[in-house]
Amino acid sequence: MARHLRSLAREWLGVMRPRTYYLPWITRPGLECALVLSNVEARFKPEFSAGPFPVTVVQYDARGIAAHRYDVTLADSTDTVEVPLRPAAGGCGFATVRGERLRSDLYVTLSDGHDYTATHGREEFIEGYPGLIRLVMKVACAMVSVLGRTVPIFTRHQYVYLGSESRSHVLLMNLSNVTNCIRAVASAGGRRVGSRLLRLPPMGSHLLDVASLGPAPSAGTTVWRLRLEGNAWFNLYMVGAGSKDLAGPLSLMHVK
Amino acid sequence: MSSNLSALMSATFYERGYDHHVEIIHQRDAEARRRLESLEVTLYDGAGALLATPKVDPARDILDLRALVTDATRSPERVMVVLDARYDEAIFPYRPHHYAYLHRAGSTAPPLYYAVNAVLGGVPDRVGATNINNFETYVFRQGPFEQRYSLLLGCLARFVPVTAQVFTYYGSRRVTHDVTLAPKCHAEIPLAAEDAGERLARVEVKSLFRLLSYVVGRRADTGDLVLFDHLFTYAK
Repeated sequence: MARHLRSLAREWLGVMRPRTYYLPWITRPGLECALVLSNVEARFKPEFSAGPFPVTVVQYDARGIAAHRYDVTLADSTDTVEVPLRPAAGGCGFATVRGERLRSDLYVTLSDGHDYTATHGREEFIEGYPGLIRLVMKVACAMVSVLGRTVPIFTRHQYVYLGSESRSHVLLMNLSNVTNCIRAVASAGGRRVGSRLLRLPPMGSHLLDVASLGPAPSAGTTVWRLRLEGNAWFNLYMVGAGSKDLAGPLSLMHVK
Repeated sequence: MSSNLSALMSATFYERGYDHHVEIIHQRDAEARRRLESLEVTLYDGAGALLATPKVDPARDILDLRALVTDATRSPERVMVVLDARYDEAIFPYRPHHYAYLHRAGSTAPPLYYAVNAVLGGVPDRVGATNINNFETYVFRQGPFEQRYSLLLGCLARFVPVTAQVFTYYGSRRVTHDVTLAPKCHAEIPLAAEDAGERLARVEVKSLFRLLSYVVGRRADTGDLVLFDHLFTYAK
């Protein structure tokens, strides 16, 4: 029922949801981020398997600005192209990938030169709100943010891990054309650990340091529940960090 | 227990020395309304022998595999952990996902977070696997990385062995291996990173019945996991 009501509300307000494939990215000194593009999963579908496949990648920085664009071509369905992403403002964000007849999951990899970690992107959508709605949202969010709150139109729950040797940060991505105030509240055992209110610009991103929500344990791994509320559509990837935290090798981890 | 419940059978592997947490419910809501009706956990060694059936409270959030396996068995080998869950589809319109976090104690490698392989639950439409899910592929980076690749395969069949064909591609060359696993057996299948001067480009796994399958990358020097991921189906 709630899903249908949301759908009706979007239609009535004129909210657009164009299909979009996107992947997260992170760059750090000594850490290369590269996309691996292919159309191999379409290999046995005649209408999708014959190349060439022109592909366009647009890399949005943490401020939501399209910082870089990459145009590549896959010769056929078994061809693979690696696209190293260039550093951009904020050191994190997401990249959209567009290509007609591209019907495969694409990978994003992080490498320190010795080995690499990998995860895949997701086919989803970017929400486009009309001008009046953007204005109303801006005013509403400005009012409730005084109280450290947001307009909780979308809510996600995610476990996060915090230990002395490893932890999972959260890369938050604003998948809309409005400023997204995202409130993150961490809790453990029914007790609130800490909270943050973040303002993500349209198409912007933020790497939420999980340790900023509360103290790390001296030993072992603690699991917190993270509740995320935003006034517009957003999504997240987990960012795995080892003993050197964000200065060491990292992994990006896909979440449903 | 209601006979209208749906089923989800997921499975993963536990290796000694790893901090390994499985989220029984991936997205627990604040009111904890989302919960499993039941969860049975079984542990198997590589030869398919049943090691233990530890009791688990299905209402808990996280399963600490390290504690669970260490308490249940002294086996130093890799253990296949099968999670047989029952749930109400009114609460989980798609299915409850099991996700997991793993990191080897003392390793400088980053932790990994992954979706636990949904193998089958006897109700295929409820695990989102109405298409063919026994012909899968995975693409590798081409750089000269210092890591070893392999597949971790497990057979959850009850009565019959399953033979899988594993195809590895190096440039235009294809190398084929046959792997046969008896019920509840599991094995790590090494994938050569290079063949005749060409780097491993991709792998395919084809079997008559669905296998538990993960693509694995390990650091060449320490063996620490840096890749632990599912493959991708050809038939979406």
